Amino acid sequence: MSRSARVRLFLGAAAAIAVFYVLACTGLPHFGTAAHPYGDRAVAATLRQHTANTVSSINFDQRAFDTLGEESILLGSVLGATALLRRTDDEQEFTPGQVRVLPSTRLFGTLLLPVALLTGVYIVAHGQLSPGGGFQGGVVLASALHLAYVAADYRSLKEIRPRELLDGVDAVAAGAFTTLGLAGLITGAAYLQNVLPLGTFNTLSSGGLVPVINAAVGVEVASGVIVLLAHFLDQALATRGERTTTERGSS
Amino acid sequence: MTAPDLLPLAVAVPLLGAALFAAVGRLLPRRACDVLVTVWALADVVLLAALWRAANRGPFASWVGGWRPRNGESVGIVLVGDPLGVGLALLVSLLVLAAVVYAWRYFAEPPTRSPGTFPALVLLFEAGMCGFALTGDLFNAFVFFELMGAVAYALTGYRVEDPRPLQGALTFGVVNSLAAYCSLMGIALLYARTGELGMAQIGRHLAAHRTDTLTVTAFVLVLTGLLTKAAMVPFHLWLPDAHAVAPTPVCMLLSGVMVELGVYGAARVYWTVFAGPGGIPAGAVRGVLVAAGVLTALLGALMCWQQRHIKRMLAFSTISHVGLFLVGTALLDAHGAAATALYVLGHAGAKAALFGLTGVLLDQYGSVDEHGLYGRARELRWSAGVMFALGGLAVAGLPPFGAGLGKALSEHAAGDFLGWLPAVFVVTSAVTGGAVLRTAARVFAGAGAVPHDSHQAETRGDDEEPEVRDPGRPVPRPMLAVPAALLAACLASGVLPGLTAGLARAGTLFTSRADYFAAAGQGPPTAFPPLSAPSLAGWTGEGALLGLVSTLVALALAATALWGPLLGGRGARRLRDLAATGSHRLVLPLRRLHSGRLGDNVAWLATGVGVLLVVFTALR
Repeated sequence: MSRSARVRLFLGAAAAIAVFYVLACTGLPHFGTAAHPYGDRAVAATLRQHTANTVSSINFDQRAFDTLGEESILLGSVLGATALLRRTDDEQEFTPGQVRVLPSTRLFGTLLLPVALLTGVYIVAHGQLSPGGGFQGGVVLASALHLAYVAADYRSLKEIRPRELLDGVDAVAAGAFTTLGLAGLITGAAYLQNVLPLGTFNTLSSGGLVPVINAAVGVEVASGVIVLLAHFLDQALATRGERTTTERGSS
Repeated sequence: MTAPDLLPLAVAVPLLGAALFAAVGRLLPRRACDVLVTVWALADVVLLAALWRAANRGPFASWVGGWRPRNGESVGIVLVGDPLGVGLALLVSLLVLAAVVYAWRYFAEPPTRSPGTFPALVLLFEAGMCGFALTGDLFNAFVFFELMGAVAYALTGYRVEDPRPLQGALTFGVVNSLAAYCSLMGIALLYARTGELGMAQIGRHLAAHRTDTLTVTAFVLVLTGLLTKAAMVPFHLWLPDAHAVAPTPVCMLLSGVMVELGVYGAARVYWTVFAGPGGIPAGAVRGVLVAAGVLTALLGALMCWQQRHIKRMLAFSTISHVGLFLVGTALLDAHGAAATALYVLGHAGAKAALFGLTGVLLDQYGSVDEHGLYGRARELRWSAGVMFALGGLAVAGLPPFGAGLGKALSEHAAGDFLGWLPAVFVVTSAVTGGAVLRTAARVFAGAGAVPHDSHQAETRGDDEEPEVRDPGRPVPRPMLAVPAALLAACLASGVLPGLTAGLARAGTLFTSRADYFAAAGQGPPTAFPPLSAPSLAGWTGEGALLGLVSTLVALALAATALWGPLLGGRGARRLRDLAATGSHRLVLPLRRLHSGRLGDNVAWLATGVGVLLVVFTALR
């Protein structure tokens, strides 16, 4: 297909899809109505479970099985990156040199890194109480570490990034989520059932299994994102050598 | 512990195994890794076999997290153990077992620092496929769909030393992700209308509305992701590029069961969500999907015949068979569903075996090019060669292979709907089987004329990176034992008398909305059909005869391709000229269509969605 034929075909089809989608959206319930069947039920269930943050209750209790699948996707992505970005025979690793940065930038990074880490820990730890949780806090934790790269250089990041350890931690945390689900089965309840004592509403220990799974997800996301970025950064910054490129024929 | 309690373990056990390999894989020697992953895969098989027995007594539901419905409403996720869904999960676990045993001595060097990566990815793949087969929740199905997708992209591009796997994985990833976004948008539309995510719940609530543009759009969008995985024309363009480059054990899983799961998902979504009032009329679904299935089957068969890259040939053969599965499922009756289930089972055995044997060629000769390998594999003719030919005969539908019985029963069901549909089954099986037989005769026996290179642009298969670098070693035993076992299983699935009866009942339950709703707590309890319910006929004279006919046609096609060029005489020459002209006029444009360009794939994806929207709106 020539370029213009392809573009025309795509634009024609996309226009048709857009028309149908817009028409479909006119069939949706009106904005601002009071009927939220799932929302009402989910909030009621959240309160019964002594969990202050409904989103966390849905993520780690009511629909925890979805979250188990999602964090497995993250584990799969990390493993996939490990497999695809592995160093081949014609590539060599090297240590990138030191980079000159402004002292003010370095100072800013040095001050902000612990603050950002602390923020991440806070967001993970309060997942069952206030907006945030393992996914969001985990990403904050991972980006906090990368301040070392932004405010200094790749060497500094490598120094504070225990990559081998995080590789293992990532897998252990993912396994921990799966294993925590077994607690329900062992006590005679269902898989992933919230069988821990629910505690007092709106305290750190409330929500039963929610804070525990939330913490496991926080650890997994933080280490997973760090390892994932490490593979890409290594490939871009610390690997030399070209993979052979061959033209692919058509069918 | 009862079967409903154990149902989530079908997902949890492989997930746990994946985490284990990711965590401690680097500490284990290679052999220990191989043994451990085999034991783990075996444990999954045992678990799912037990669940399958339970599901055959009557479908059951498992509310994950104990979120049982109150007054018919729940906030949780339900898994449904019906015989067909659990049976597919069992097939997944069996193929995973075959793939990991096959891979024992397959890769020369696992990635340094992380030898556990491959087993961990395979187990995650298994968890995604099992979760997808078992879930009764539309959003949860999407999550597992994405899990199997994300892992499959990585597994496809696994051989990073060669740029082609990465290219194939990229196409696979981009096309399937775009299609999955379509599904997600469709799920969002359904959620906005009904406030529900469970399939049965959505189906129940859709009855409150008449069928409007929202219903049709949601139906088409949700189906887009599933039918892209199922490689329905014109969503199929990613498949040959991905299957041709994926490592052989991964091909066994992709072709054997992942693609088929797309058809299963589409049928499941139709029956549970859209089959009732306020859904999509059965006539429209039947008409459109049967037509698309026929198109897919014929196009796949035609392209299959044209390939000289053996893995691409097998990939197009898979497309072609999935077209037949789509036809069988889209008949929308119990008979079609049961027959297709048996066909999928038989096809999985034969196709996985053929991919495994192609892996042997790659291992020994560093090539999967039918022309380049001409006569080179003679020393393997009594082992791999015989098995390759048997696989070809099974694909062609020879009785009593399971693929043959599945074909016979599907044909019969399809013939009840449209008299000429059995011809499509016969032609497709004959052409795809013939292509395999032609390859077997050329590669393992050096039969027929020496194939000459054409000057058309085409994918050859002669400069493949061998997946194993240890020249001169004998063929590792698992690489021959696994295809043999798979072919034996394909044969067994055609002769085990209890299997057909069990699948007949599974098909009845799969197509019964009332039974599914009852199991998922969304309807009044039903009396499930008894085990002695009217079952499929098994082998009939007509089915066996058509199976023999397609096998004979396959043999004739292969013989023509092999010895046709040697025939002298004016008649033969004229026929050859005619064939060359036909191939130039008809096949060349089709080959150009399969350009492998990402842009083309995306344009065709959008076109397919647009056409389906228009057609279903017109027919609603």
